[in-house]
Amino acid sequence: MSHKILLVEDDEDNRDLVSFVLQRSQLDVELLIAENGEEAVQMATANPPHLILMDMQMPVMDGWHAVPLIKADERTKNIPIIAFTAQAKPEDKVKTKALGCVEHYSKPMDPEELLNLIQKYLNSQG
Amino acid sequence: MVSVATTNNSVSLPPGKENKAADQALIKQNKEAAKQCLLVADRLIKEADFEKARIEVERAQKLDPSHPYISAFLDRIAYFEEQKKKNQPSPPPVVVAPKQETPGLPVAQVAPPPKSPSPPPPVSAPTTVQKSQAAPPPPPSPTPKKPVDTAKILESLKSTITPAQQSQPAHQSSPPSSPPKPEVDSKLDEMRNQIQQLTQALQEEKKAREEIREHQLQGAVNQLRHAMEKAWINGAPKAPEAIACHQLALSLNIPPEVEKSVQREVKIEMYSRAVKEVISKRKLLRSSSSTLEWLRKVYQITVTEYLENESKFLLDLVADQYKGTVILVSEDSKARNELTNRLKASGYAVVLAQTPELALEKVEKINPNVILCEQKFTSDGALSGIKFMHILRTNSKLNFIPCVLFCEKSDLESLKASELRANEAIVKKPVDFDELTAVMNEKLVQFREYISSLV
Repeated sequence: MSHKILLVEDDEDNRDLVSFVLQRSQLDVELLIAENGEEAVQMATANPPHLILMDMQMPVMDGWHAVPLIKADERTKNIPIIAFTAQAKPEDKVKTKALGCVEHYSKPMDPEELLNLIQKYLNSQG
Repeated sequence: MVSVATTNNSVSLPPGKENKAADQALIKQNKEAAKQCLLVADRLIKEADFEKARIEVERAQKLDPSHPYISAFLDRIAYFEEQKKKNQPSPPPVVVAPKQETPGLPVAQVAPPPKSPSPPPPVSAPTTVQKSQAAPPPPPSPTPKKPVDTAKILESLKSTITPAQQSQPAHQSSPPSSPPKPEVDSKLDEMRNQIQQLTQALQEEKKAREEIREHQLQGAVNQLRHAMEKAWINGAPKAPEAIACHQLALSLNIPPEVEKSVQREVKIEMYSRAVKEVISKRKLLRSSSSTLEWLRKVYQITVTEYLENESKFLLDLVADQYKGTVILVSEDSKARNELTNRLKASGYAVVLAQTPELALEKVEKINPNVILCEQKFTSDGALSGIKFMHILRTNSKLNFIPCVLFCEKSDLESLKASELRANEAIVKKPVDFDELTAVMNEKLVQFREYISSLV
């Protein structure tokens, strides 16, 4: 069964890189892309993914606002969200966890590490 | 071409009292003149001027009575004269056996074989001799691939002519049922032409088939390569895709070794493309080397394949930062890995060798910009770093490459006391990376200056 991953990222290079890495993984995944938090909320509600990779700094609506909205919706509240951000301070990690994110992954990314993380949460959903 | 005037001297053979050399010279001259006469006769026969041809042959006979082809020429003239008369529109019936056409020129005249070897006949002579044979010609061979050995035929004809036959005029020995000579010749020529054309056509067809076969294989390989590129674009294909590629190779009759080779080329190419793709995004990556390592696993590039192409891959990855290729010779895996990562991060392509012996092989193959080597190696029989350096010194192709030895503090003084060349340096352990890069940069500047001075 193919898993759906929603990548919420405003930076095109980052989107391409995640797509590049996922394409070369052994994971059977479908990548959905949203360019800001607003799009992400709409997409997650309309077509709930198995996992969300959420950038925290974005125009229109950032991750700090989008994650609570997703967690507040009955249809999407159980979707694991990985905060995917350049903010790597310990307090940032605490904040994202407090929002309901299951992980705080700091950019720049390491392909293998990111894939292991994604796989961990996809496997947990069966 | 032919000097007829020479025939004027033909009758005056030198008397035996004159000196031998003059005799031999004259004989030789006469033989040559006879040969020229026969050549003229040959041309005249072809022009159907038999009368003049006969005169030339008679001249040749006077010049060189022992010439083996005289009688053959006369027979030939007689034969063609007869044929000419036969082919005339209203030939008189009596012309069938014109005995007077070869008066006094029976084959018996040439029955005794020449005592001295005559000079080789001119190129046209053997052909004409063959045509003038008195006996019925043998049935034409359907595949006359080789040129007819006319000299042999002439000899065999002479040997087969019985005394009775020899006493008869040549034309009478031909059976009446034998086909006319020109017809046979023309048929032979025609057949030769046909065979030549057929042979040429066969050769062209064979060549075309080979080209088609080659082209088909190339086309098949291209087809397989295309399929493999699709399968390998995102890394090693999954089982169904891999099986499909293999089945395609089988269906295209691609030999297994070719299939393997194509697959190897494709995966390296796809890996290389993937490396290039991440170049622009390397700032988004935590570590270029770990990404490269991950991609190596994704594309199932073996360590050997990676090392063979590392310079190329790293050139792609750090295209604007590439500083050169380093061979690092160390048996300490921990120190080796640590230094490798730092060197790669600094823009060097790093090729590893565990011992100086292994490094020597790689140095010649890779032609590095810098060699970094430990001084001490614990394995039995291994060269020390300084010995390795001395070996490099003896090779004129390698003795200018910057070479840095890593040594313990205790060895530092003694090694520094040894005379180091401009391209050599010693760095104490544990290696301070800043010190090392400073030394490397210094030696690389010298290295580049040296290389520039060679151009």
